[in-house]
Amino acid sequence: MNQPARALSPVPSPANARSAMERIATQLGRAVQGKSSQLQLVVTSLVAGGHVLLEDVPGVGKTTLAEALAKACGLSFARVQFTADLMPADVLGAQVFHAQTATFQFRPGPLFRQLVLADELNRAPPRTQSALLEAMAQGQVSLDGATHALPAPFTVVATQNPVDFSGTYPLPDSQLDRFMVRMSLGHPTPEVEAGLLVTRDGTPPLDAVETVSGPEELASLRSFAAALRLDASVADYVVRLATATRSHGDLERGASTRAVLALGAAARAHALWDARDFATPGDVRAVLVPCWAHRIMLRSAVQGVSARDEAAHLLEEIARKVPAPR
Amino acid sequence: MRKGTRLRLVLRDLGSGFAFASMAVSGQLPIWSLVLYGVALVIALAGRRPFANRVKLTALLLLAVALTLGTNVLAGSLNLVVAACAFAGLISAQRLLSTPDAATDGQVHLSGLLMVAGGAALSGELIYGLFLILFGVLASIALALGVVESAVPEGEPVPVRAVMGPLAMGVGFAVVGAVAFFVLFPRLNWNMIGPSASPGLGVATAGFSNTVRLGGAGTIKGNPRIVLRATLTPDPEKEALDAYWVGRTYDVFDGMEWSNARATSDGSEFMTTLRPGQKNLVHQHVELMPAYGARTLVALETPSRLGNAVANTQMGSRRTQIHELGGGEVRFRDSGISYSYEAYSLPPGASGDDVQDLPPEEQDALLSLPEGLDIRVGQTAARVLNGERDPLAAARKLSAWLQREYSYTLELSGDVPDPVADFLFQRKQGHCEHFATALTLMLRTQGMRARLATGFFGGERVTGGYVVRAGDAHAWTHVLVPGRGFITVDATPPAHRASQSPRLLEQLINFYEVVESQWRDVVLDYNFRDQLTVVRSLTRSHEIPKKNEPPSRAPPPRAFGAALLAAAAAYTAWRLLTQFLSRERPLEATRFADAVEAQLASARITRVDGETLEALDARLARERHPLSPALTPVARRYLEARFGGRPLQQGEATRLLTDLRRAVLTESQRVASEGTRPPQARAS
Repeated sequence: MNQPARALSPVPSPANARSAMERIATQLGRAVQGKSSQLQLVVTSLVAGGHVLLEDVPGVGKTTLAEALAKACGLSFARVQFTADLMPADVLGAQVFHAQTATFQFRPGPLFRQLVLADELNRAPPRTQSALLEAMAQGQVSLDGATHALPAPFTVVATQNPVDFSGTYPLPDSQLDRFMVRMSLGHPTPEVEAGLLVTRDGTPPLDAVETVSGPEELASLRSFAAALRLDASVADYVVRLATATRSHGDLERGASTRAVLALGAAARAHALWDARDFATPGDVRAVLVPCWAHRIMLRSAVQGVSARDEAAHLLEEIARKVPAPR
Repeated sequence: MRKGTRLRLVLRDLGSGFAFASMAVSGQLPIWSLVLYGVALVIALAGRRPFANRVKLTALLLLAVALTLGTNVLAGSLNLVVAACAFAGLISAQRLLSTPDAATDGQVHLSGLLMVAGGAALSGELIYGLFLILFGVLASIALALGVVESAVPEGEPVPVRAVMGPLAMGVGFAVVGAVAFFVLFPRLNWNMIGPSASPGLGVATAGFSNTVRLGGAGTIKGNPRIVLRATLTPDPEKEALDAYWVGRTYDVFDGMEWSNARATSDGSEFMTTLRPGQKNLVHQHVELMPAYGARTLVALETPSRLGNAVANTQMGSRRTQIHELGGGEVRFRDSGISYSYEAYSLPPGASGDDVQDLPPEEQDALLSLPEGLDIRVGQTAARVLNGERDPLAAARKLSAWLQREYSYTLELSGDVPDPVADFLFQRKQGHCEHFATALTLMLRTQGMRARLATGFFGGERVTGGYVVRAGDAHAWTHVLVPGRGFITVDATPPAHRASQSPRLLEQLINFYEVVESQWRDVVLDYNFRDQLTVVRSLTRSHEIPKKNEPPSRAPPPRAFGAALLAAAAAYTAWRLLTQFLSRERPLEATRFADAVEAQLASARITRVDGETLEALDARLARERHPLSPALTPVARRYLEARFGGRPLQQGEATRLLTDLRRAVLTESQRVASEGTRPPQARAS
């Protein structure tokens, strides 16, 4: 089933980029049905070079989505189930004694893949969480004085259960900041669910997914997206949005500079869906909530799903108040 | 007719009307031309063009009018310039009533320019400037609307609303700039609008010539223009001064005209500096207004000294020489727009001149009679005097008789061979010159020396001073009383000595004069000297230092106050200016988006919640709105231009907007033909 990755033309055009992104999204749609906007967001984040945080109840296709993404993009994949006894070495890898050569050799952990699914990230102890998040930020792993580069394009799709908090170590806000977007898939619509019952004849959903891209294409998409034009007025708009969150009365802490950069990158990638080589205020608006809802800290004590809803609501309100450049 | 066209034509016609008004305020145009033009303007404003299909006929009419005017000019009853102006007005009227096409519009504007030029020739003051501005504004807007109209394809609405905003702003800026120019460079504007220094509301009637001629046809107009303003010391504190302001005198009468035995005096020129302090003399500070129109100084009877003469010219105010001519006339050496000077006058009846002081030829002249004077004049005088030999008593007796037996009229007598006899024995009515001439001659027939004096009679109290109007021009008699000098005797009935004009008109004129005088004082005549005076009055203490204390060198507190105020004003101006300069200017792409949104609004698609055009386009696409396919490329182009660094090309915005407008029109027609409402645009 594996097909050679189709390389983009040396000078990618916005139209080419869009068709590549649409190809990937189409393949994802074969595995996870009826969720086109979330799939689009996942692809946007991937092209923008960000990590994805999926917050969902179990059994709605988080793992399937991650695996489909790996397969469609032709990326190496590992799934790490985070548990309370998981140690950093279990994720990163460790120096093991090689008896024959009488030396220590580095045995890479499951993190050394292009796409890593960190399942139930909040069940792991903070040490392990922070080891992973550090790797996410740096794109490399430092162990016993040696630095090991992670394979490019290194992307983490982490999941956490926003409802069941017993026996978890909730991610600190500073760590959450490292995920470019946070999203939830949610339950499929009744029609899609009924369709699943009828059509699934025992074949795993991933079988339908074809590899339509590869690491090289992804790398070129990323560099193309990163170089898109972001007009000064749009940049100013992003900054004004951040300032508005920082001075908002219901917010303990507003958007960080990292959040500003992430929003810019996500907006650029989003512009490619419209085959544009420049980002607009509309792009910013489109990715604002998934990009920032998990980064701002509310004054109220609500947690979990309702906290995200509240944050999303506040962001919408801010976006309505801050005038977009015309 | 399209909506824009109607508006444009109304503006065009109104502009032309103001151009005509700029001529009409001179009061010199023939009445019938005013009426004709007024009727034409009203018809044109009502939207009727009765001359549309009668080009040749109306051209013949014009020709007839031209012939009439030409005949009048040749006959001498109409000034050539006035006739030309009237003809320009009638050309404009004929064009107003013709088919409104591009050529006609041009001709209407052109005739408007002609009329404005004519107005400048006929009059040239404040009110003219107002009409000039109004003509400029209305004609500019009409012209610009015409340009826009021709650019819009046939059958489509003219974007009047969109055009009028920037247009009005541009014209407003231009007007403000022009006004600022006039205010900042007052002397320049005199060069432009007031070269002739003629009055704005009528002809100057106070011109002093070397002769006074009786006769002539027509009616003397009671011109209420102010020609003179004076402040008197000591202040008589009377509402009506009723004094004689003498300009010059005449001693030789040839039956028709008064002149002087000595054409000029010694011709000495002098520049006197008058100092206060002469006792028993009435001091006058006199300003001669532009409406005065002459260079002769006038002063209360009997003038003893004149000086401190200043001529206000285009180049500024400066001291000027005055020189004496025959008949005791004193003139300014330099011509100016207005003048000011000071004068001292003796109290009435104290001139002290005696016959012996006069040169011999003047002594003779005071008794000379014209050749062929009607014998009845002397007989009548002798009969009335009935043996009275005292000159003053005789003069009073004669003038009382004249006032009793003769009536006053403003109708001129027409050219008759012997105006005096005509007045005394035929018409038995006349104006001041007739009365004064008759009295003078009658006195002379009885061997009493007398002469004619001209000038003004009156003086109306206005804010601490007195004003004299052009219509106050007057003539009277000086009778030489041995030992007392020349004494004024006025034969004109007292009720008719001062100006005769309707009360309401006078009040209106008064108002105009007040405004104009303020304008002159505060703006036009404000020069460096005045600035220095203001600054001095601020910095110098008015307090008289006490004897023991040395005078303080420190400026008074109001100097600091003024400095503070000036600093605050400068700071505010600077703040406003920087705010204005740093304000966000709408980008071309943004203006384009505004235009697109305006078009969408006309199709009842409105933005919700401050939606951007981008969001609006996305929403319409989601809703599958029928206009979405037309809007999407436009919105896309806007985004590229605004955020993508690909500016709109020349004319591209117009093309895109035209396409969109077509789509909007098609859609509205489709909706109308289906009789259904368009899908309502809703917020998602």
